[in-house]
Amino acid sequence: MPTVVVGVIREMFERTPAPRSVVVRFRLGQVFGEPDQRVQQRAILADALSVLITARQAGTIVELPYRWKRSVYADPL
Amino acid sequence: MRRIWNRLVAMAYARLPFLSRWAARRLPGHAARAVPWATRPVPIPQATVALVTLAGVHLKTQLPFDMQNPDGDASFRIIPGTVNPADLTITHDYYDHTAADRDVNVVFPIERLREFAVAGWIGNTAPRHIGAMGHILGAEERRLVAESGPAIARLLREDGVDYVVLVPG
Repeated sequence: MPTVVVGVIREMFERTPAPRSVVVRFRLGQVFGEPDQRVQQRAILADALSVLITARQAGTIVELPYRWKRSVYADPL
Repeated sequence: MRRIWNRLVAMAYARLPFLSRWAARRLPGHAARAVPWATRPVPIPQATVALVTLAGVHLKTQLPFDMQNPDGDASFRIIPGTVNPADLTITHDYYDHTAADRDVNVVFPIERLREFAVAGWIGNTAPRHIGAMGHILGAEERRLVAESGPAIARLLREDGVDYVVLVPG
């Protein structure tokens, strides 16, 4: 069953690789961003789902470009 | 007292990202070639997607995760795909879940996933999702590998899940 893991610590995935990892440089405990920020949360989730299809080998790590409280998000819906 | 200390450490880790990176670099590593690899020829708009969170999320009516065992708790909770987020709570002393307490979607984006299903971005939200906790050590790690992990996989397979999004918390 294909999986993608979404986390905030790249070093964790480098040391213990998962099939597909998505890194977002956010605060620990806020992987999908800020409370009630639906567009932000949807954007990150959409990116993670895309990696399920685009990743080609085990251990793939994709780092998202978003910066804490500074990025503008496009709603995938 | 230990639980208070754990929560203080969790707050420090949340506010000082270098601590998490330092701790991660100390983990025993393993090569990417040892990682299992699965693919499925199901386009995302036709796929059933499940969430597995290690952020300690569970229904308020379910038994909380054990915070007394320093090795953590390898059990898991089943969260219905139709859950009302107001019926969820978090039991986890090892990360600062102040934000997640306010909006569980920051660690368990169930409402976002349902929005994707309604919009046709994914096929279906899985009927059952999983809440568990991270910070699993020693005997609990062995229990996770031998019992909980296979049980979760069986459950998701029974539900016809095509893809899984994992959230460490």
